[in-house]
Amino acid sequence: MESMVVANMRSRPTRTFISVLAVAIGVILMLIIGGIVSGTLNDYLNRTMSVGADFILQPSGASIFYAFNNATLDGRIAQKLRETSGIGAVTPVLAMMNVSEFGLVFGIDLESYNQFPGRLQIVSGTASLKGDDVIVDELYARVHKLRPGSHLTFKDHDFTVSGICKPGAVVRVFAPLATLQDLNGTPGKATIMFIKVAPGAERSEVESRLRGTYAGYGLTSTQDETLLLADTKMPGLKEFQVVVIVVSMLLSFMVVLVAMYTTIFERTREIGILKSLGASRGFIVAMILKETVIISGLGVLFGIVVSELARKAIIHAFPTLQVSMTWPEVLTACVLGLLGGALGALYPAYKAARMDPVRALTYE
Amino acid sequence: MNKAEMAYKPVEYSIRTVDLTMVYRSGRVEVPALYDVDLDVEKGEFVAIMGPSGCGKSTLLHLLGGLMQPTSGQILIDGTDIAQLGDAERTSVRRLKVGYVFQRFNLLPTLTAQGNIDLAKKIHGNGHLNPYKSEEIFEMLGLSDKIHFRPSELSGGEQQRVAIARALINHPAIILADEPTGSLDSRNSQQVLRVLQTLNERLKQTIVMITHDSEAASVASRIVEMRDGQIFKQASHLAYEPELEGLL
Repeated sequence: MESMVVANMRSRPTRTFISVLAVAIGVILMLIIGGIVSGTLNDYLNRTMSVGADFILQPSGASIFYAFNNATLDGRIAQKLRETSGIGAVTPVLAMMNVSEFGLVFGIDLESYNQFPGRLQIVSGTASLKGDDVIVDELYARVHKLRPGSHLTFKDHDFTVSGICKPGAVVRVFAPLATLQDLNGTPGKATIMFIKVAPGAERSEVESRLRGTYAGYGLTSTQDETLLLADTKMPGLKEFQVVVIVVSMLLSFMVVLVAMYTTIFERTREIGILKSLGASRGFIVAMILKETVIISGLGVLFGIVVSELARKAIIHAFPTLQVSMTWPEVLTACVLGLLGGALGALYPAYKAARMDPVRALTYE
Repeated sequence: MNKAEMAYKPVEYSIRTVDLTMVYRSGRVEVPALYDVDLDVEKGEFVAIMGPSGCGKSTLLHLLGGLMQPTSGQILIDGTDIAQLGDAERTSVRRLKVGYVFQRFNLLPTLTAQGNIDLAKKIHGNGHLNPYKSEEIFEMLGLSDKIHFRPSELSGGEQQRVAIARALINHPAIILADEPTGSLDSRNSQQVLRVLQTLNERLKQTIVMITHDSEAASVASRIVEMRDGQIFKQASHLAYEPELEGLL
């Protein structure tokens, strides 16, 4: 039967190619769109962790995705926190979205920020962040062809690059806190506070103390695993991922359904011949499903290869964009691609199996 | 002997039909095709069925092969009444006991001659029990040099011989041939008829062949003539004299 399945595919190369392509497009959609979303989020979370803070203080109910939050945190809290026992460092940050580049800019107080392990490591220029200064990381500088002294416009404000830091910091662009507070119209306000426990202090004790004192605020421990699962908390993200998966599966399902449905009508007489030879309904269903599995399998393989090439091309063209493609994601795309195709073949297979052999044999 | 006694008589026939009736229904319209057909075919017998178009020959052949279920009556294939069986069981009987040869060859166009034979073996599932290997059958049918050809690369006679090889490969007890020479010229017709005759003589296979051609029918040991859905007359081919106008 295998040879018949292969012979059928070879005898209708256009249909086979289009079916393979449709399954591949579904897989590419899943891997690339899903990869960009999860890659960007994971990168963002990793960067957040890289600051080296033990806790993040935010207004109650605020998202870990700072871009969604307004700067409503009173900056004076920073000083109160520093006076709390067991706390070694505190730095207020105002996060602003640079909509034109879909990237975050952090307004920081460089002195307090650099008390954290993830301090900015300047590779060229100076570690200065005053007035209209801005520090960018090497990748951002390379992409935008910036160097110390270059100009950068953000929120219709002209900044001058004072220094270039190593990549890996929480964002790629840092501006003075006060300047961003003015630009944002929220003087004295911050989006978050990074908090570091003092050397020798007991982390759990500090946490309980903070939770007691700042009960009306949101306190996230960077050791909290739910922070790493924050992508599940992003509003609409899960729904978006489900939509991408459903659209991809529907694509495979519908193209395979139409292709196989057309095929069984083209092959009506052949199905009659198979029945006259004593082929059972199971044999005919298996034949159609085998063909579909091969088509879907080829589509999945093709999709994975193209996705990997596309991922490399995207990263090459947009170095600041992260596209993740992990084995679990690839495996999920494989399973869903095959499943979409197999589901699409079920109805045509059922129709073929139930065909009247005498009518099928006389079909012109 | 009444019909009930005949139905339970110890099996000595390859095929028996008792009161076989088939009525096609299309909405409220009923189109009768066969009435109370009683046909006995002994094991190893070669029977030709003749008759004008629409007399029910093909319907009878489809019923004998279990391709459809009769309106009433019995169809005993090696003693099993397939009229009482469901689709899956009838398919199983067809797979194990029946080989079909069609007027239009009905080979799968995407497969080679060998591929068509292999497919039949695969469907049968017990190809390894077959006393004949494909090579022997191809040799017997003069197809040894054609096994890698696709149907479109073969002549009509060659295609029909491949179809016969396919019907034969699983060594069925019964071969049902629906006008096997209907699409062939006289030379190829003769060749195919000789093959069928040889199969019947050498392999002792029961053959039921539908034909319009009295010359083709003459290779059979018995000729059954049908008219208006009933058996009109039957006789050995030596004693048979066609009476129907427009039969040929």
